[in-house]
Amino acid sequence: MSQLTINNVRIVGMSACVPATVEDNLTLPIYKDENDARKVIASTGIERHHKVDENTTASDLTVAAFERLLQDLGWDSQEVDCFAYVCTSRDYIAPQTACVLQDRLNLRNDCCVFDLPFGCSGWVYGMSIVSSLMSHGTFKRAILVAAETNTRNRNPRDTAVRPLFGDAATVTALEFSTENSRPMNFMFGVDGKGYDAVWAPYGGIRNPVTPEALEEKEVSPGVFRRGIDMIVNGMDVFGFAIKQPPHSLKELIGTFNIDVETVDLLLLHQANKFIDEKIRKAVGIPAEKTPYCLEEYGNVTSASIPLTMVTRCGEKLSGNELHCIACGFGVGLAWASMEFYAGGVKISDLVTY
Amino acid sequence: MDIQEFIENFAAQFDETDEALFTADTNFKQLDEWSSLTALSIIAMVDDEYNVIIKGSDIINSETISDLYDVVEKKRS
Repeated sequence: MSQLTINNVRIVGMSACVPATVEDNLTLPIYKDENDARKVIASTGIERHHKVDENTTASDLTVAAFERLLQDLGWDSQEVDCFAYVCTSRDYIAPQTACVLQDRLNLRNDCCVFDLPFGCSGWVYGMSIVSSLMSHGTFKRAILVAAETNTRNRNPRDTAVRPLFGDAATVTALEFSTENSRPMNFMFGVDGKGYDAVWAPYGGIRNPVTPEALEEKEVSPGVFRRGIDMIVNGMDVFGFAIKQPPHSLKELIGTFNIDVETVDLLLLHQANKFIDEKIRKAVGIPAEKTPYCLEEYGNVTSASIPLTMVTRCGEKLSGNELHCIACGFGVGLAWASMEFYAGGVKISDLVTY
Repeated sequence: MDIQEFIENFAAQFDETDEALFTADTNFKQLDEWSSLTALSIIAMVDDEYNVIIKGSDIINSETISDLYDVVEKKRS
């Protein structure tokens, strides 16, 4: 098993930004009537999501969330030693968005910056990578972004995805500290056989963009896509999501001897309520310890765990230290679980773009 | 595995369809109530009751409840 323990790093602040425009599932034009829409809302738990306009990218939302958090923390952007950008909806094919953001955010020229093109598992993977780099002791302050504009890389006429996904950017500030830091523990997992359960087949080197890849086709009744759009094969993702995350969390609990009774927060990737409740029950964590934000923001892929923390756990996380376990899972298929402690975290008010 | 029990578990995922309509030979995707959401309920039911994860293609390639029963039985062995 690939497991990892990291010492001397703690979360000191978090912020999030969502676009101002809200799309309500009840009134989406893709349903024949409100009754149809209500069924989907009842089974997914997702009532609405925030949506960027056609001129806004994930990095734009990131800038707003970053500036807010640094102001609230009293950090200077020149003090940031490492900056990681978890996102699949990158600004350009090249260069990495993190390079462009170095200048926009006024980070130092010797700052260690990079993109991490993860989907729903991205915040947990990002935490492991950035914290691991910091644990050497020379990076004192680091920023982990998890941001996505899901409404822009999926087709609005794809009824299978439009009600489920939203846009958001989140910023997590980390500090190296040999005092008051408890270890973070991680478990990882991947199943490349499921690479086409969630994927965008065209636009890479294997299948370059061709005029045909830009043509919109009705692939099944009411589902329209172009070759460059993200495909979500709901049934396969569902089968994966009700099985692998509970297994991963149980592996984490077993490997690191976690007493489930002492867990204060179970932080799940916000896939949909049906899936997440199955995971919660399988792991045996009470409902009141499992916050959700999907009803309001939908599935915001890599941003969903930190967005839940910012919008639903602000007061708790700013208080006494909490024992948390988290699991991110999705495109890859990839998943990762972590155990960490968080307390006295500066949580910024939600920023609207 | 018992086909009768499988049919009952299958029928339990529907709210509006008459129970009498569910037999081994039912073309389940032709039922009025069938939707992508029902498909997810079936996948969850098969996981809960038979500890097997069926794929989207298993449902797409099955015509009747009996076809799907065969898939589940094969995956269990």
